[in-house]
Amino acid sequence: MNDRALDRPWMLIAEREIVTKLRDKTFIGSTLVMLVIVMAAVIVPALLAGSGGPDRIAVVDDAGVKVVQQASAIEGGDGYEVTRAADRPAAEQLVTDGDVEGALLPGTDGYVVLGKDRVSSGLESRLREAVVNVGMERNAGAAGLTPTELRAGTKVELELLKPAPLPDVVATFVNIGLALVFYMTALGFGMMIAQSVVQEKESRVVEILAAAVPIRALLWGKVLGNTALALSQIVVIAGASVVGLVATDQLDILKVVAPVAGWFVVFFVLGFVALAGLWAVAGSLATRQEDLGSTTLPGQMILMIPFFFSVFAGSSAKTIASFVPIASSMAMPGRMLTERVPVWQPLVAIVLLLIATVLIVRLGARLYERTLLQTGRRLGYREALAIKPS
Amino acid sequence: MLSVAGLTRRFGEQLALEDVTFDVVPGRMTGFVGANGAGKTTAMRIILGVLAASAGEVRWNGGPLTQTTRRDFGYMPEERGLYPKMKIRDQLVFFGRLHGLDPDRAAERTDKLLERLGLAERATDVLETLSLGNQQRVQIAAALVHKPIALVLDEPFSGLDPLAVDAMVDLLREEVTPEVPVLFSSHQLDLVERLCDDLIVLARGKVVAAGPVAELAAGPSLTYKLVVDGDAGWLRDVRGIRVRDVAGATALFDVEHDGVAQQVLQQAVTRGPVLEFGPERVALSDVFREATR
Repeated sequence: MNDRALDRPWMLIAEREIVTKLRDKTFIGSTLVMLVIVMAAVIVPALLAGSGGPDRIAVVDDAGVKVVQQASAIEGGDGYEVTRAADRPAAEQLVTDGDVEGALLPGTDGYVVLGKDRVSSGLESRLREAVVNVGMERNAGAAGLTPTELRAGTKVELELLKPAPLPDVVATFVNIGLALVFYMTALGFGMMIAQSVVQEKESRVVEILAAAVPIRALLWGKVLGNTALALSQIVVIAGASVVGLVATDQLDILKVVAPVAGWFVVFFVLGFVALAGLWAVAGSLATRQEDLGSTTLPGQMILMIPFFFSVFAGSSAKTIASFVPIASSMAMPGRMLTERVPVWQPLVAIVLLLIATVLIVRLGARLYERTLLQTGRRLGYREALAIKPS
Repeated sequence: MLSVAGLTRRFGEQLALEDVTFDVVPGRMTGFVGANGAGKTTAMRIILGVLAASAGEVRWNGGPLTQTTRRDFGYMPEERGLYPKMKIRDQLVFFGRLHGLDPDRAAERTDKLLERLGLAERATDVLETLSLGNQQRVQIAAALVHKPIALVLDEPFSGLDPLAVDAMVDLLREEVTPEVPVLFSSHQLDLVERLCDDLIVLARGKVVAAGPVAELAAGPSLTYKLVVDGDAGWLRDVRGIRVRDVAGATALFDVEHDGVAQQVLQQAVTRGPVLEFGPERVALSDVFREATR
């Protein structure tokens, strides 16, 4: 008659929680929508920045070929590809048809860059620089100078005092993205936890559950089942964005994000579990779905304030936020992406978060045990704390 | 055997149960009756561990009832409840496993019960799409799916039509083996009288009567009914009996023992034809009224 579920009833509760969600069309739908948004966020900017391959430039003579090669060298590799056109009308045709990004034609005193409705500033400046280089090398020969002599003292080097792992724009983007993933997942799953608790209260099934297994096992089953679901959802989304990054040749971002991913998972799980305990209490304080609006308010605040803080606050405020439990789940992974953070900092933040999680979950379990079977009316947090164990 | 000893429960100032003690004997159906608010549900919830007692304890075979043992109990709460949006088969398998069955056994028991309840074809339907009567059937199946070692049913028959009650009773008789104590509360006294072997009457949180139904109904003395052809008024002069009521030809009287009744009968026959004679059972509702007064 016995099996292992007897010793670990929370596993059964977690299993039911997971199976129910996986069959829930709304849950599957929202996951797909999130997936599409993330894929779009990864792929669309890359597509807008230009399709993967090198830009094609139409030229009509060998001198043009040389300029385009020079431009490619400046770009650092094979940025541009030469397309030979017989004459100007042929080159114009290629440009208007969109077969080439632009055309480089000999002009009266140098060259003409031909574009359809616009020429990207990157392409224009590269070609301009290449034309100058090629031209100056030729002129230098005429003036009896070597190209090196001609360029002496004109080199400009860039030096950064505080180099960041990622370019500024990308870093901000990834930072907001990570915080948003935590915020949305914690809020979405939080509401689902609260709803599933209040559903059990509303349908009175909780009475049978409580008679069969300890109330703490009910709480743990719910929290762990939903944590597992949330984490898998994130893994699926992360997997999709990796595929997207690889497909669009943005491996450089991946190289920076990958080492932080492990930290993110730790911060995520701890922060999520702490909040999940609170959300379950929000559900057990309510007696009907309509009560959730007010009982989940503290949970929403605990998420929303740190979210805006960790995304929009100044850097010193962000540093503080990255140590404050729950806020740290959103702020610390972002900081680790945008600046060099000594390794002791995330470790300390994790220890603080761990302590907070244990305390919050213990308090949550106590409130949950006291309020779950109170089906009379909605309770407040203060009231719940005052209830003596029954 | 399931017993409660000295069970007391306070809700604030209010005393819901006061020193309640009774046994629920295996193999016998024990009816739990009492007016609304007498404390039946409170006592049952304490037995199931859903509510804590202020004092006293629940015992199982002489020892304290543990969480592990309690997990093998079957419980049908007063306020019915299952997952409204879960398929009934999945639901019953879940409850079977929750009470410690392995998945295969839970599935096997579920299928058997659904078949027995005529719900096999609706196994994959969501609970809330079933009629209330069928939902009630699933509810009782949820209490029986794990072959409980004890059953506590709070108003199991409320809201059922007589046919459904019969079907439910048949199911209980079939499923409940002789070693299982069954406690069920009801305010349908005719039903309790028909089904129960033992009875516990609760009034304002106290046990006011307890024992086998037959004994409680018989009362402390035996009551006989006599119908003669003519006037029965002469009975008032017979010694050794207490006349309860005489109305023309019909009389009700109490005797100390059966022998006296036979003497009365002999006397009646010498006086004229006797149309009816025999012991009169007191209706349970009278016992109930008497006890809870």
